[in-house]
Formats: sequence, structure tokens, C-alpha cells
Amino acid sequence: MKNLKQNFKQLTLLLAVGFTFFNCNDKLEEIEGQVATDDLDYTISSDMILPLIGAYSTTYTRGWEDPLLVGVRGDDVNAGGLGDQPLFAETDLYNYDNGFWMYNQVWKNFYGDIVDVLNAGEIIQRYGDLATGSYVDLANQYVAETKVLSGFQHLQMSRLWGNIYIIQNPADPQIDIDNGIDSKMEVMQYVSDLMDEAIPYLPDARPNEREDVPGGVTKYTALAVKALANLEMEDYQGVAEATEEIISSNKFSLFPDYYELFKKPGKLCNENLFELQFSDYNTDSGDVNNHLFAPFGPSSWTPVVETASGGWGFYEPSLKFIKFMLDRGDQTRLVTSVCFTPRGIDEIMEDPAYATLPNYVSNTTPSGDIFNDYPRAMFASGKHYLPSTQLTPGRNSYGSSKNLIAIRYAEILLMYAEALTQGATGTVMTADEAVNSVRARVNMPALSGVTTDDVIDEKFAELAMEWGIRYFDMIRLNRYDELSYEGRTFTADDEYLPYPQAQVDLLPLE
Amino acid sequence: MRTKISVLFFFLLGITLYAQDRTITGTVTSMEDGLPIPSANVLIKGTSTGTSTDFDGNYTISAKQGDVIEFSYIGFKTVEITVANQNTLNIALETQVSDLEEVVIIGYGSQKKSDLTGAITTVDSEVIEKTPNSNVMQSLQGKVPGVQITSAGSPGDSPNVRIRGINTLNGSQNPLYVVDGNWYDNIDFLDNSQIESVSVLKDVSSTAIFGQRGSNGVIIIKTKGGKKGSKPVITYNGYTGIQHAQNVLKMANAEQFVTMVYESGSAADIQYVENAIQRFGRSRVNPNIPNVNTDWYREVLRDAPITNHSLGITGGGENSNYGINTSYFAQEGILDMKNEYERFNIQGNIDIDVSDRFKVGVNSAFSNATKYNPENGAWFQAYFAVPILPKYDYTNTAADPIPFSDATLLGYRGSQNPFPAMTFNDNQLRIRKLLTSIYAEYYLIPDKLSFKTTYYNDYSTILERNVRLPYFISGQSQRQVSSIRRANLTTSNQMWDNLLTYSDTFGKHSVKAIAGTSYRDLHSNSFSATGEDISAVDFESSWYLNFADPDSFNGRVFESASRFYYMSYLGRLEYGFDDKYLFNATVRREGDSRFPREIWKTTPQFGLGWVISKEKFLNDSNFINFLKLRATWGQLSNGSLSGSSGTNTINTIVTAIDDTQTNGIIGSTTFQNLKREIMEETNIGISARLFNSRLSLEADYYIRDIKDLVASREVPITGNFVRDNIGEMRNKGFEFAANWNQTINDNWKFSIGGNIATLDNEVTKLDNGRGYIDTGSAEFRQRIEVGEPVNYFFGLEVAGVYQNDTEVANDPVAVDNGLVPGDFKYVDQNNDGVIDDNDRVNIGSYLPTFNYGANLKVSYKNFDLSIDMQGQSGNQILNRKRGEVIFTNDTNMDADFAINRWHGEGTTNSYPSAAGRRRAWNQKLSSFFIEDGAYFRIQNIQLAYTIKSGTLLGDNMPETRVYFTADRPFTFFNYNGFNPEVANGVDRQTYPVPAVYTVGVNVKI
Repeated sequence: MKNLKQNFKQLTLLLAVGFTFFNCNDKLEEIEGQVATDDLDYTISSDMILPLIGAYSTTYTRGWEDPLLVGVRGDDVNAGGLGDQPLFAETDLYNYDNGFWMYNQVWKNFYGDIVDVLNAGEIIQRYGDLATGSYVDLANQYVAETKVLSGFQHLQMSRLWGNIYIIQNPADPQIDIDNGIDSKMEVMQYVSDLMDEAIPYLPDARPNEREDVPGGVTKYTALAVKALANLEMEDYQGVAEATEEIISSNKFSLFPDYYELFKKPGKLCNENLFELQFSDYNTDSGDVNNHLFAPFGPSSWTPVVETASGGWGFYEPSLKFIKFMLDRGDQTRLVTSVCFTPRGIDEIMEDPAYATLPNYVSNTTPSGDIFNDYPRAMFASGKHYLPSTQLTPGRNSYGSSKNLIAIRYAEILLMYAEALTQGATGTVMTADEAVNSVRARVNMPALSGVTTDDVIDEKFAELAMEWGIRYFDMIRLNRYDELSYEGRTFTADDEYLPYPQAQVDLLPLE
Repeated sequence: MRTKISVLFFFLLGITLYAQDRTITGTVTSMEDGLPIPSANVLIKGTSTGTSTDFDGNYTISAKQGDVIEFSYIGFKTVEITVANQNTLNIALETQVSDLEEVVIIGYGSQKKSDLTGAITTVDSEVIEKTPNSNVMQSLQGKVPGVQITSAGSPGDSPNVRIRGINTLNGSQNPLYVVDGNWYDNIDFLDNSQIESVSVLKDVSSTAIFGQRGSNGVIIIKTKGGKKGSKPVITYNGYTGIQHAQNVLKMANAEQFVTMVYESGSAADIQYVENAIQRFGRSRVNPNIPNVNTDWYREVLRDAPITNHSLGITGGGENSNYGINTSYFAQEGILDMKNEYERFNIQGNIDIDVSDRFKVGVNSAFSNATKYNPENGAWFQAYFAVPILPKYDYTNTAADPIPFSDATLLGYRGSQNPFPAMTFNDNQLRIRKLLTSIYAEYYLIPDKLSFKTTYYNDYSTILERNVRLPYFISGQSQRQVSSIRRANLTTSNQMWDNLLTYSDTFGKHSVKAIAGTSYRDLHSNSFSATGEDISAVDFESSWYLNFADPDSFNGRVFESASRFYYMSYLGRLEYGFDDKYLFNATVRREGDSRFPREIWKTTPQFGLGWVISKEKFLNDSNFINFLKLRATWGQLSNGSLSGSSGTNTINTIVTAIDDTQTNGIIGSTTFQNLKREIMEETNIGISARLFNSRLSLEADYYIRDIKDLVASREVPITGNFVRDNIGEMRNKGFEFAANWNQTINDNWKFSIGGNIATLDNEVTKLDNGRGYIDTGSAEFRQRIEVGEPVNYFFGLEVAGVYQNDTEVANDPVAVDNGLVPGDFKYVDQNNDGVIDDNDRVNIGSYLPTFNYGANLKVSYKNFDLSIDMQGQSGNQILNRKRGEVIFTNDTNMDADFAINRWHGEGTTNSYPSAAGRRRAWNQKLSSFFIEDGAYFRIQNIQLAYTIKSGTLLGDNMPETRVYFTADRPFTFFNYNGFNPEVANGVDRQTYPVPAVYTVGVNVKI
């Protein structure tokens, strides 16, 4: 029995040692290898730029399908890529299938970005709440920038789908979903109001004048987005006022060389109010932040720099656009907007009216790259083409380091001009002056007494292939006849894409 | 001591009864290992005359002619020999398969098999050794009812193991492996020939003591250790063989492909064909097709060798026992590139009795493996690459260094040819694992109360090297500069267990109780960096980051880490009355830092057993030798789920601002914060031995509920997928196994066995207003819905194919959608006159509802032959390769499609036309893409010849077994794919599982 007691003593001792040693229960509350948003030191005001850069990164990082889907339905451009992605081609023909993966992907890309951008705004606000001195204003400015980025993306979403959810609660979008779908007009009004909210806090500068974030959003970017929203609402006075403020700042000017505007020399030039920035950092190796321009590229070419990669042959400028430009003798803008293949040139000439073409219609670009025949398309978009000679040595992907311009001064001038022809008043210049300044750059003769039709034609010539501007103009002005081209028939029902099937299954849509 | 007494006893017995006619001498040995059996009984039947063998197994006995001599020993089958005129009788005794007395390791202890209440299946070494594979689990395919094993074809990859259906949608399905008491998540360091037995613990009650790590089931492995006081035994086992791809999927050949292209009417695709004709010439047989006919699967496949050598020594002294094992395994992959696995293992263990009360032991294993990963994309590319593209294109003079062909030169979007990636990519992994444990056990009360402390550490490093060599084929297919990615993943998994064990018996009552703590610290760290432009890249000796351009590292250096802590308190009580009524209960309280929302969780378990055969009314039955009813209930939380952050977190990013790399952060907007996923199971079972124990039966029925089921759901608007507790799921099943063993005569023996398992899976509850959760991808939708099997395929049901214009004109659906003959006709499920998303239904489940296996073993003299078979049915496979046409449709297709396409009225009512194949209407997920996944396989055939130890041509000859094995030689199935073994039912890219033919030899000294 004594022995047993002895044993229990030993046992108690062992257990005591065991349990104290193992009393690590507080360790169970630690999580290693992650940084919680709450754990950031919000008193370090100089860090408030980090979430802002995150918001730009989110906005710049675009899926390759985004610009394609946004623009493909216009009469300026066709799907291309024949044999591949038939539902993309069907979209170009206004036959929509809500199961097409691109619709869902683009929906998710924009909405995901909106949530992340707004969330960045909330993180900046947490820095702002603890900031002192000039950092208080800076926080307000940065938050305002996120509003502009959100507004731009809401605008793109609503252009595609019409009625959508307005998202204001990144932490719980369910609140926004419960508020229900907003009509396109409500969304555009929201965007316009959001810009008014942001403008007082934004720098009075050209984007390329900013030192903290060169190329970032300024007051004029917000005004431009506001003008676009008002244009969609057909509030032409609103358009005139917003664009007038931009024009009268005298900060913006057209980049002299229209061709180079879309190449490397045009990066962060005085014409750009908003552009998505990309770079390979002019180094032959290391990480890059590039947009995938390959869908716009030719699937067969003979570039000056032999190792340069081509592309997939999607996004083919339309014959209608090319003939329109030939009719106008709009040489610079045609050569800039379109890269021709021999087969494409033959196709134009098949029309007896175009049996002889001017010399500048060539399958050799002004930079010397030769576009060969390929079955997927007859033409490629010149505005999405970067000459192989401008590639950073060692970087061969199509369009490496090229920016994607989103809003430029020429569009501002033409929106202003249209607003005046639609009856709005503006004092900074006349519609003629606005249109002619755009024409002057590309050596087109001046017009006088411009009408809405003239402005719309000018927009067609100047802004083709860019962000579906042409398509959204046509549906705004109900010019279905223009969209009924090359065998297509456009009706009012075709204006907006159907909600993606996956979203219908997920959200209380329809 | 006992041995000595019995020797003496029989010796005395021998003397008193000595007086017979003939003197017979001989040796009694064990048939299994050829070693002599000391103290075996040698008795003249029907008398009390007898003797026993000496220490070397020798005996001498006098007998009359016609007497029957009985040789017997505990644990061996009794052999009777009638005395003729021989003077020598050497007898080899066969091990008795009275497995009921066998002790089964059950986690923190052991139990007699007859005392078990849970569902446990044990498989012995013979079954495992005959499968030539690097992973033990592969050997169990079709052997254990309720265990579904999906083979891995790629060398060094572990098979997918699923015990009793799908028990979690998000964590790993892999069970916990307990090897000689040490816990592992992966046992690829273990050599098959090292294994003595494998026990599969299927029900929650059996695995409860292991806590959350046991939630996927537990596989307990006993290695061949030495026994105290046994002579050293040296075993060599080696085999070598060849792997050959079976059931290679037939793709459309050039003629079929070109026919499809012309019938599709796609101008661009017709142009590509013309381009190919221009580039490669016209076929002389059919001038409309290019002079190329590439079977890409045949190009990328090869026959590959597999080989294994292992050498082990086991033995023991008076106070210790030991085992040492070394093995070498090498396997090349059947993908024709640097794709192989080579492994060298050393392992040793020793147990020492320091005193009567104090025991210590150590077990250590080191595994050093080199693995070259395949470019799995090659399987995908080989499926899609057009047959009108050759492997090489000698007209492409710009290509350097090898003129591989490139489909973009014909006009296609992608380069298609899988060879550039297979040739210019090198994916090396050096996997090193050191697994050690040490224990000390002290008996506080001799034979009753002990305290045991055990420390384990398994430490592994994976050093990864991905080299990309430069090449040029075309503008689209090129790599101007080389690159190298280095990654180092180190994982340290430490555990410290402390355990008190008490066992006692009072009369007919037996009690065993344990209580303990377990602490675990799992720390893993991953570091990677990528550099470009390696100097002297032609030499592998320069494939280090040091020789890459230092400027290229920028933005490509990453480190991430995780560290989780676990703490458990556990207890178990086992009680038995008269070996007849059995009761046990377990409780485990676990803390886990991965679940910040619910760190602590307690899970209980109970088990009952009734050994009916011990009741008086069955006591003397010759028919029923053993009969037991079992019932258990238990809960367990799932330990395989990844950690929850529990809060929003920050990621750092780099973006281009004015051509400058600029840092920023992006905050998450959604995060995971899980409650525990709980498995609750009721199991009832029966175990029986009938007809002199020749027939053994095991049957189990279980109902298993997964509560707070974790699934990934899309958070609307954010586009993020977050794991959440979404509802409840139930698995029900019946498992049955039967084995018959019989010795017909001295020369002929056979055994036959079979097993079946059913599985019925159903989602029973969803905490979601919409009543369903969409999973899979948007184009290949799967759904979780109450009353349906989890993740069923959700799509339209094909009713047929429109055959002619009249049929189209008469159907408003066809008219509205602009359909033409050759398009699918779908079932209008809701009869609303339109076909839309409301007509989507359950079109199949990927879970097999029936698995079965059978084995037959026949031995004649020294030959033995075994045949194993297995199969499954009731599951569907999504043929996503066919479905990928939705993303890109100018690629090749399988021959079955091309041959059976609709091409005119009456040709088929189940395949679309070539043009229809490209139309969105026919690309919607429908029953066309869902195929029957049933298969039947001859799993393993082995023929062996055993040479008994003895002398041969004057030299001592050890016991040697020579065998020929065909593993997975034949598989029968209807699915249009390579391989019906698709774990998650979505076949996009699977490494084919080859047949393996080997010859091997096993030598024991």
C-alpha cells in the first residue's frame, strides 16, 4: 500500500510537470504569417498612399476580355478571331447567350474591382481619422480618388448591362443588393453626384503633373467621368459644364503626333485625363506589370524586331469604318487606327468604289512591321498595336509596356461640341472650334457650322476602337440603322447584355 | 522460462513412454519464414505418446507403421502424417489464421481483435508486397470495403484515398497514417516490403481517440520489427518491371478531323487545313487532307521502367529488439520527358527494456527522394492538338534549337504542340524527410499502470527547381531568356504526447483506461525566388540563382509562413465482462488555433459489443465458431480544413506608376471564419467465423452526418469565394466482406474473398435562403442542394438530335433558337415551351454508389497464383475535355465524337453535327458531356514460385520466392477518356494510370 502511495506521488509530480509545460493555450489564439487589416499602424500617415496604390493596381489590372467585350458591338469593330470564341462573334452580331463565360468574367472583374477600390477608400479613411496637419487633406484627396475609380467602373458596368447594383458597402455588399437594382439613369446620376462629392478634394492638376502618383486621378479626371455620366443621361448642359471646366483650365492639349499618342511616346502625355498604366520597366528581365494586348495582335506578321510576338487576331476594325475613313481622306487617323493585311486590302478593293486605294493603305505599318494574312481577321486595331521597334529589348510580348488610355482630351472636346449642338450652352469655345482643334491635329480641314451628325462622325473617326465609345453613342442616339451594318440587324432589345447566368443563379436578378 | 518448463515436461513424458518400433527423426519449421520451431508438440494421435522439438526444431519419436503423428504448435495449423516406412519427417507448419486472438493497434494502445467494437479491416503484408508501387495505399485498392482509392499515374504522387465517401468538401480527404505509433499525413517515405500489416479504421468510434486528425479515417501500419529473443533475419526483396499505358484514348485522325472541319463550314478552320496542305503537302491517300497524321497521345507516351530493392534486418536480444531497413525505389513516368521519381530510404528502430518497469525506444527514418514533375499540361495539349500538325516542322528554319512544329504557323491561336514545354522545362524537386520519435515508458504499478511520454518530429524540406530553357519556334512560341525558380518549403511537425494507461481485471471484469495530453506545433515556411538569364545555361551545373541576372529578381522573391498550435486532452475507458459484453467510451477535448471562432471542441464516442458465440446456446456450435454484434456512435471534428484568418488581411502588390515599380497594399473584403465541421456517425456491425473458421464475414452499416459542412461559396459582387459552414450532408452505406480459406490436401490450398460497399450521399440541410449553392465553374456547373448528392452536375438533359427540317419547323423551341438539324433537342423539364436555365436538372453525381473487389488465391506445392479484381459503378464523369470546346473550338476531338457525329438524318440521336459542335446551343452543360464512370479492373495477377531453404548443388540456399506480377493489366469501361479514375469527377487533365509488369525476387536468410 505504501508502494502504491509512492506511485501516486510520482504520478502527481509527472502530471504537474506535464500540464504546466503544456499550458500553451494562449498560443492557440495566435495566427502567424498574416497581417490583419486591423493591425496596420494607422498613425503612420505616410503609409496612407499604400492602399491608394492598391486601388490603382486593382483598376489597372484588367482581364484581357474587358476591353474586347466593352467595345466589340460597335460598327467600328468586328469580333475577329474567327473559328475561336464563337460566342464572342455572336455578341458582335447582337446574339447574346447569357451562359457565355466572358459576360460573367467581365461582370466579376468590374464588380470585384469596385469592392476592392471602395475598401481601399475605407482603409485610407482609417489613416485619415488619425492624421494631423496636411495629411488630413491628403487622406480626403485619396478617398476622393477611390470614388472616381469606383465611378468610372460603375459607368462601364452600367453601359454594358443598363440596370445594375450601385455598390457602396465593400464590407457587406449584401446591403447594396438588398437595396435592389438601380436603373441606368439612377446609376449615371449616382456617378455624376459621386464626382461632385470628390472634386473639392482632388488636386487641381493634370494627371501627369502629380508627383505622388503621376498619371493618377485629378479634379479633371472626375470632371471627365462626370461628363461621360451626363452624356449617358443625355443631360447635355451637364456635359457642357463639366467639359467646359476641363477646357478652360488650359491644362490639357492634344498630343501633336496622333500615331505616337497610342505608342510609348504618348504615355502620360498632356492629352490624357485617365489612363491604365503598364510597364516592363525598360529592363530585359524581371517582373512586369503588363496588360495582355495579344488578343488585339495579328496571328501572322513579320515584325522589324524578329523575336516580337504576334497575337490572337481578335478585334478587327470593320470595313464600314475603313471605308468611312477612306471617304473622308482621313489618312493619319485611318493609318493609326487600322493595321491592314494583304487579304484585308483585297477585300476593300473588291468593292468597285474602292478599286484603287491610296498608297498609305499598306500592310506595312508606319513603323515598318509587316502584317501578313491570317484567317482569323483581315485587320488589326492600330490603337492597340505597339511597333516592335518600340519594345524593350528582351521583351517580346505584344504591346509590352504599352498603356491603355481610358479618357483623353480629344473626347472631352468632342463631348463639349456635341453638347452644344444638342442645345447646351458653353462659353469657352464654339462647337466649331472644338471639332476643328481635333481635326487640325490630323491635318483635316476645318469645318464650320458643325451639326450633331458632324460631331458624331468626328467621334467615329477620332475615337474608333476605344472603349466602345462609338457603340454607346449609337445606342444613346438610337441610331440602330448605323448598328445594322454588314448583315446585322440591331433592335432596341439588343442594347444591353443579358445578366450572366452565373449571376442570375447567385443574385436576386430578374 | 515457459519454454524451458515445457521442454522438460515433454522430455519427461517422452522418457516414460519410450518403447516403440521405429525411430523417426526430423525438424519442424515455420512455413512462413523457414525458421525452426522449438517446443512444437509431436504426438501419436489417439495416445498420450509424444515429444516436443528442441531449440533447433529437431525431434525424435518412435512410432509404429500406420500410426498417425500430429505436429502442433500454438499459432500454427496442426499437421497429421501417417507413418509409412520413412525414418525422417521434416515438417513445415503453416501459420494458423486464428486472427481473433490477433492484437490490433487502435491508437494509444491495442486491443484483441475479438474485443473490437468498431469497423476495422486489417490487410496483411502479402497483399501489400505484391503491388509494385511507391505507395502502400495503392495496394489497398479494392481490398477494403468502404475505402475508395483513386490511383495516381505520375511517379511519386500519392493516390487519392476516400474512406466512406466524401466527408469534407474542402479539406484534404487523406486519412491519418499511424506507423508504429507515429503520426503522419503522408507515408511516401515508407517502402512496401517493410510493412507487416495495415489496419484501416473506418468508423468514427475507432478513430475518435486520434481526434480531429482522424476524421478522414486512420490507417495503422505495423512495420516488420524484430521480436525479443529472436535470431536476426535478413530479407531482401527486389523487383523490376515496365509500365505501359493502357486504354489510350483514340483521337480523331487527320481524315476524321478534316472531315469535321469541312462539315463545320468554318471558313477560318478550312483555311488552316489548306495552310497545312501547303506547308506539309497532300496526303497521297486522300488529296483533301494534309500529309500529316499525328497521334499526339502516341507521341507523348512511352513505356517506362520501375524498380525497387529493399534490404531489411530484424532481430532481438534478451532485453531489446530492433529493425533496420533500407530501400531504393525508382520509377520513370510514361510521359516522354524528364519525369521520374527516385527514392532512397533508411529506417531503424530499437526498443529497450531498461528495467522491468522502464522502457525506452527510438524510431527514425530518413527519406531522400528526387522527383521530376511532368508537364501535366502536355496531356491536355495532346488531346487538343490537331492531327494535321506534325511533331517536327523542318520547314521552320528559324526554329532553334529543335524545329518543333507550331500551330500558330497554320493560323491557330495557340501553338498546340506539347513538346516545347516537355523539352525545355525542367521541374526538379528534392524531397528530404527526417522522421523521428523517441519514447519512455514507466510502469508506476507493474503490468497495471504506466506513464508514457513520446516526442515526435517529422521534418521535411522540398527544394524545388523550375528551369525554363530558351528556345525559338515562332513569335508566339518562344522564350528568349532562360529562367530559374527556386522554392524551398520546410515543414516541421512536432508532437508531444503524455499518456497514463491503466489496465486490470477483477474476476470476469476487465478494465482499461487511458488519460493523456497531446500537444502539436505545425510550422511551415515557403521561400521562393525567380531569376532570369542564367549564365552558361547549357550546363546544369549553373542552374542556380547565383548565375542569373540579379536585376531580374526584383518583385519575384516571396516568403510565406504558417504556424498552428494544437492542444488536446483525451481519455478512454474500455470495459469487458467475461469477454462477452464489451463497452468503451472515448472523449477528446481539442484546441486548435486554426479556428479562431471556435478554438475548443469536445467530441465523445461510445461503443458496445456482444460476443454471442460465447453465450451458452452457441458455445458448442460447430457451424458458428465466432459471432459478435457491434454498435458504435461517435463525433469527431474535421482536422483537415485549412486555417481561418478570422479577420480581413492585407496583401502587398506592385504596380507600374510612371514606369516605376510602386508598392501598395490591397485589403481583403472577405475572410474565412469557420466553425468546426463535425462528423457524427452511428455504425452497427457483425463479425462472424463459420465452418471451422474457414469462412469469415464482416458486415457494417453506417450513417454518417457531416454537420456544419464547410463549402466554398461565392460572395456576391466581390467575386470572392469564401469557405463557410453551409449545412449538413449524410453518407450512408453498407459494407460487406467475406473470405473462405481451405486446405484441400498437402498440395492444394485456396482462398477466395470478396467485398462490396454501397454509398448513398445526400445533402440534408442548407443554411442558405436560395436553397442551393453553386459550385464547379460557371460553364461546368455543379450544385449543392438539399435532397441531392453533393456537387451533382447541373445542366440540361438531351432528349435527342433534330433529324430534319420538318422536325425543326414543327418545334417552336427550335424555331425560336434558330436551330438546324444536327442540333440537340433538350428536355423541357418544366413544360413551359421554352428551353432555358429553368430546365436544368441533376444530370449525374460523381460519387460511386457501389464499389466491389474480389480475390482468389490458389497454391499448388510451391507455386501460388493470385488474382485480384475491383471496380465501381454508379458514378458519372464530366468529360470536360469535350466540354472545353466552349473556350476554344478549333482543336481536335476524340475519335468517338468524330465517328458518331450527326451527319444526316438517322445517323445518330445522341451526338451533334460538326457544325453543331461549335454552336453555343450544343455547348451548354448537358447530359451529353456526362458519362458513365463505371469500370471493372483486373487489379493484380501474381504468379510465384517458392524455393524452400535447403541446399542446392552443395551450397546453402536461403528461402527464395520468385514472382511475376501484372498490376492493373486490364480495365473495362465505356467512358470516352483515358482513365475512368477521376477523383472529383471532372476530367480535364489526368495522368494516365499505366499497367505495370514486373518480375521480382524475395530472399530470406
